[in-house]
Amino acid sequence: MEADSSALLNWLMLAGPLWAALGMLLLPARNRRRPKPLKVPLATLQIAGLIAGFALGPLGIALFALVPRAIRRSTFIAGLLLTVFTVSQVLVRVGDPNLPTTLWLLLAGPLWAGIAAYLLPRRYRHQEADDQNVLTAAALGGFAIGPLIFGLLWQGTPKITRDWILTFGSLGAWQIYAVFALQNPDNPCVQAPFAVSYLTQQTANGIVIGCIYSLMAVGLTLIYSVQGIVSFAHGQLYMVGGYFSFYFLLYSGDVLSDITGMEVSINPVWGIPVSGFIVFIMGALFERSFLKPMHEGVIERASEYAILITFGFGFVIEYTTLALAGPFPQRAERFIELRRFTLPRVQVTEDFVFGPINIIGDRAFAMVVGVVLIFALLYFLQRTWTGRALRATSQDRQAAAVTGINPTNMNTLSFGLGSMLAAMSGAALIPIFAWVPWVGAEMVGRSYVIVVLGGLGSVPGALVGGIIVGIVEALGAGCHPDPSRGAAYKEAFALVIFALVLLLKPTGLFGREQH
Amino acid sequence: MKKRYSLLGMMALLVLLSLIPLGMVQADGHCEFDDYIIRIGGLAPMSAPGAVAGGVAMDWAFNQAAADINADCGITIDGVHHQVEVITGDSEGSAERGQAVAERLILEDEVDAMVGVYHSAVGLSTMGIMEENGIPTVFSEPWNDNVSANGIREFDGAPPRFDDGIDHIFRISPASSMVGSAVVNWLLTVGVDDVILIVENTDYGQPAAADETARLEAAGVNVSKIDVELGTEDFVPILSRIQAQEAPDAIRILVTGETSFNLTQQMAELGIAPTEDTICVTNQIAFQSEQYWATVPDGNYCAFNRVGIIPSLFSDKAIELNNNYEAAFEDIVPSYAMASYDAVFIVKDAMERAGSYSDAAAIVEAIETVDIDLSQGRYYFDYGSHNPELPEGTPDFMWHQWPDPIVTVMQYFEQGQSSLEAAVVYPEVYQTHGTAYVVPGTSP
Repeated sequence: MEADSSALLNWLMLAGPLWAALGMLLLPARNRRRPKPLKVPLATLQIAGLIAGFALGPLGIALFALVPRAIRRSTFIAGLLLTVFTVSQVLVRVGDPNLPTTLWLLLAGPLWAGIAAYLLPRRYRHQEADDQNVLTAAALGGFAIGPLIFGLLWQGTPKITRDWILTFGSLGAWQIYAVFALQNPDNPCVQAPFAVSYLTQQTANGIVIGCIYSLMAVGLTLIYSVQGIVSFAHGQLYMVGGYFSFYFLLYSGDVLSDITGMEVSINPVWGIPVSGFIVFIMGALFERSFLKPMHEGVIERASEYAILITFGFGFVIEYTTLALAGPFPQRAERFIELRRFTLPRVQVTEDFVFGPINIIGDRAFAMVVGVVLIFALLYFLQRTWTGRALRATSQDRQAAAVTGINPTNMNTLSFGLGSMLAAMSGAALIPIFAWVPWVGAEMVGRSYVIVVLGGLGSVPGALVGGIIVGIVEALGAGCHPDPSRGAAYKEAFALVIFALVLLLKPTGLFGREQH
Repeated sequence: MKKRYSLLGMMALLVLLSLIPLGMVQADGHCEFDDYIIRIGGLAPMSAPGAVAGGVAMDWAFNQAAADINADCGITIDGVHHQVEVITGDSEGSAERGQAVAERLILEDEVDAMVGVYHSAVGLSTMGIMEENGIPTVFSEPWNDNVSANGIREFDGAPPRFDDGIDHIFRISPASSMVGSAVVNWLLTVGVDDVILIVENTDYGQPAAADETARLEAAGVNVSKIDVELGTEDFVPILSRIQAQEAPDAIRILVTGETSFNLTQQMAELGIAPTEDTICVTNQIAFQSEQYWATVPDGNYCAFNRVGIIPSLFSDKAIELNNNYEAAFEDIVPSYAMASYDAVFIVKDAMERAGSYSDAAAIVEAIETVDIDLSQGRYYFDYGSHNPELPEGTPDFMWHQWPDPIVTVMQYFEQGQSSLEAAVVYPEVYQTHGTAYVVPGTSP
């Protein structure tokens, strides 16, 4: 496509930020002058004006001004899509990739995100308005629409709903993608139409590994929600779960072979409940022996004690395993013989081929195991008396005790269950990764990120957090501008998201506010 | 009363335990040992994030060498037999930890010599400590060129590097460039045009990749490089990126330990390599066939560089060492274990010829002029203070460098194959199956 810098000028005259600002002012003004003003919040009218002006300029504003019934969510979404399409067309036609990037950095982006995040929450507090989610919305809004966010929020200080955050978040994500595409036109993540297949492949990779990450993180979050402690032995419990499964499969296979006189190999799926059961007992015994005194008030500095004792437990497990199993890597047999699932190549149009999409067979199986176990846990927590008792204890120990729940037993159960989930996730992964006694170190670091990202104590949060981390890592490694560095920075991408979430929503995505 | 009995019992047990070493000394009773036990420090990664499997093998080799030396009357200096003890320090594969452990071995344990080191970062960071303290050192596994080249480079081409006029550092493992040249020459022999290097971010991986890239590009081969962190488990995103491109002719893995196993397996599972289009060249650890097939079940037809004498050329000493190793670990003895074993014997030989276990200058001089047949072959050093002028065109790393480590390229061609039966495909002189490459799906 030929470079055409006048495209930007034309768009800035006919639509874009100028008309967006006008729309924000004109539509509320027009509504006030109606004989029967629309009974919608001021912010809705401002957003309508913003989107209409940005997407279609005076035409869009006139449409909403003359046909107020068109002001509804579906037209907003249509307007957003049209904006994205128009801006992408403009940017593609602009020859110099640095110009739109510079414009974006001046008119929106991190600068305005910082300014908005600083000023708007103060404004809300000054006006004594409900400031929940204002920081997040202000930062994302400043990032996505620059100073226009002040027009939306400064005067009316409207209540911030999840829709605002999703809208600005989506718009901001799209802008990052657009700027990235302009700066890296040869990147496989932006090369149309190939990017569709490639991004699908990387997203699928991320979802698969993310579900597996989640299983481990769920155990950690369960322990935290009930006991209020972070288990620093979680990585080692994950590791030892893999080893229990491995040796169970090995020895039971040998025993069955001896009995039947034939070569018998047991599917690793049987190792998952076995290792889960053994580690549940280990975890429960540890809790009874070393953590119970903490809850009984016998220990003076309980939180420090919890850190040290779980660290110590982890060390004991790791070095005992090293002494018994040795340092040489092990791996269990496959879950399924199919090496990889392949969604075949599909010729969608003459120019556009979708696929193939490959997923390693054992990983897909482990993902299914992970999701099934997480949903089983959710069922247990939501639908059984014991699960409800666990939740009650996590919410208020004293109130739970008054209703006849024994918090001590719930502590033991939660630590046992959390340890069991770590072990089951290890047993699900030993057919996938080379297993060594220090294998838990990398995974557990990621689990801490996931549970904080999802919200400490939230099981659905751990699932969503795991998938987000998986996708971010996959896309980060797959789309990094320098292919030689993408894999090396893989873990850093998740940490960036982690830091942003902590900054904007310290309780995590699904976390409860502590009162 | 009961307490007193249990206390007496404990004391008796302690006395008995303390007598066990005396009994062991007497078991070697055909030699009269002096009271002074010669201590040698061994540096090896015994815990993560180091390559623990390598460290355990090296530690075993140190102790096996000490046991074999002691069984043969230890180190004999001026007619006096001294037992030898190798104290292994855990470097954890990290430069900082390696330095701390080297200092502890030298200052607290007062070792007379040092051997070992697996990771280049540890070798490079501890060299100065050994030099400052005048400890003769024989490195048995770090590959970074600078481990031996620094002896010259740091002082404007004028060895030795320190004021006392002695360079204490020797190396019997190959330099990265020696390994790289074998693999590159093989790749050129089989006719590649596009190569992807997947490289660990360490003092071993990066220089090795730079060397191989330079050699390949000089031969007109297009090279791309992908860096990875040691300890990474999931490589699928970056492998999908490779898969999205046109298939390269070869993927060369410059990653060590179990990380290389994960990478190779995932590459095979995704159908990227080894295939008819793409050659897989994995890390030398693939030679440990038990570990390799346990963790890379889809890795048939992968090639790998092998350092050390090839099994068909094993001497009696190497066969004996291999048998002992197999008895301990049920696997074939790796080169770093052989080199670690030999390093202790080189120190022994040098001390005996120097007539001292404490005169570092004399020991270094004796190592420079070593000429001894051990498990990996004949050891000697072409360049050192005995022959300080490196001829034009001789690389700097040949200083205090054993010139003859055998570097071969091997390739599996049957699922579950022992590395003793794998094909040696390069160099031609060592080829075992008459071919430079076994195309996947075929047999040589």
